[in-house]
Amino acid sequence: MSFKLHAALAALAASLLLGYPVAHATTPEAAPADAPPPPAVPVFTVDKTSLSNGGVITVTGKTAPGKTVYIEVFNENPVTGSFFDSRPNKETGKIPYKLYMASEIPAYYRIHVPKETQPILDDFKKEGKGWSYSGALSNTGGEVVYREPGKHPITAYQASLQASIVGSRGEVLPTLDDKERVRRSMQIVKARFRTVDKLLAANIDQKEDGSFTAQIKIPEGSAPGKYTIIAATSKKAVSEPLVVENKIALPMIYMDNAGTSLNVFVPFFLVLALATFGVLMGAGGGFIINPVMLMMFPIPHNVVAGTVTPTVLFSQASGVVNYSKIKFISWKVGVTLGIAMLAGAFIGPVLTTMVTVDEFKFVFGWILFVLAALMFWQTTPGYLAKNKKEQAILKEFQKRAEEASAAKAARA
Amino acid sequence: MYIHVNFWGNEFKVNVIVGCIGAFLIAVVSSMFGFGGGPFMVPLMAVVLGLPMYLVVGSSLLAIFFSTAMSSARHYGFGNFDLDLFLVMFPAALLAGWIAPKIAKRINPLWVKRIAVIGLTLLGLSLLGLF
Repeated sequence: MSFKLHAALAALAASLLLGYPVAHATTPEAAPADAPPPPAVPVFTVDKTSLSNGGVITVTGKTAPGKTVYIEVFNENPVTGSFFDSRPNKETGKIPYKLYMASEIPAYYRIHVPKETQPILDDFKKEGKGWSYSGALSNTGGEVVYREPGKHPITAYQASLQASIVGSRGEVLPTLDDKERVRRSMQIVKARFRTVDKLLAANIDQKEDGSFTAQIKIPEGSAPGKYTIIAATSKKAVSEPLVVENKIALPMIYMDNAGTSLNVFVPFFLVLALATFGVLMGAGGGFIINPVMLMMFPIPHNVVAGTVTPTVLFSQASGVVNYSKIKFISWKVGVTLGIAMLAGAFIGPVLTTMVTVDEFKFVFGWILFVLAALMFWQTTPGYLAKNKKEQAILKEFQKRAEEASAAKAARA
Repeated sequence: MYIHVNFWGNEFKVNVIVGCIGAFLIAVVSSMFGFGGGPFMVPLMAVVLGLPMYLVVGSSLLAIFFSTAMSSARHYGFGNFDLDLFLVMFPAALLAGWIAPKIAKRINPLWVKRIAVIGLTLLGLSLLGLF
């Protein structure tokens, strides 16, 4: 990456010559102040060249008056992103079932837009999960600086709904043209980073004379390595890139596909505690590990689900083996109901394409409260008094517990 | 159609038709809405099928294992898997599956059930968007 080196050398030279404690992107401003013509491309400086596990970078710069500036920030580490197109075509009503995959999405990606565009972003936030990234980029003007994710190859697959349920990607389709690739890259980026706030920040403060400042906040736990910052006022008027390095230290470790660095002890103990709770209640624990991990780490939603699910598979397997050793299992009931669940899991996604149901999710919250209340009622004395088998099992439990403590006492 | 299950000398009759319809619906709904169906299996077995809690925990784990395997494969195919993170969490998962049965064996089945009630309430809150 020789241009990055050149930029770095130019910055170093500028700071040596002028005694600036900062890095400079370009040096046309070094000319005498005899009313120089406004620069055609934005010029800016950053207040630091390295970060330690995230931090705030202040960007200060100038561009021609009347031109609005936008800033792109991306990390050098590549991660995988995918977008499954299962929305019916507006004209034909046919569902494409195409899978788009990119393996070189930046681990961190954010576009900064003028602070005046905050109301536009707020409107997109109100749209919820289905907000349009391309719409937000074009309404705020940020699309002029949307560059990096569109540069890398995307593979398109012709999938089928049934095969996709078990993770089959289908057949590879011909290479996408440039325009299509950029369009699909936006969908992939959105599927990966998901929220308006992660992808866009309306915080560039620009004065009428063309000068601007912005705070670039790299959150804790973000990917390590080089963060490239680019400012642009149009697709052609693009600044030189500036690079800021983010450093992390053990026990923080960078997770390749999560695109996030985290303290490895935290997920270990988190899973140990929550999966124990999950296995104790007869589930794997995924339902609680997922939201807690999302709250604690800036890992994309898909990666959390895609990594926690196989983890929970092992807590379930280990739980099944160990419960079977103490005979807390009915193989017949488990396998029969498991097969019924598998059949249902194939039907669900087919129904999803016919009806949208997301807004009814809360109904199942209430159903769970009712079920929880019923289960709690089963542990109350009134219920137990009527249920002879429960009484017998409780009696047996007490007998076994006494025997165990008697055996312990005998050994001691 | 009934499956007869014996636990600690007590005979339980499980209605297979009701059980299968329930499990099927749980899987349909949870895959449509994108939440794990696991916690729903526990009240299905305990409340609807009337199995004792000790049997429910093991059998429910076994039942949901199949669909967890399938959705793991889907996530893997779609590139959502992170090997490093998995390697950190997976020993904890194996350990959890070893510890939990040891706890279950020592505590009263009523308390196992109450713990499950806490779990269901947490998931309920998360489905209502409160957690």
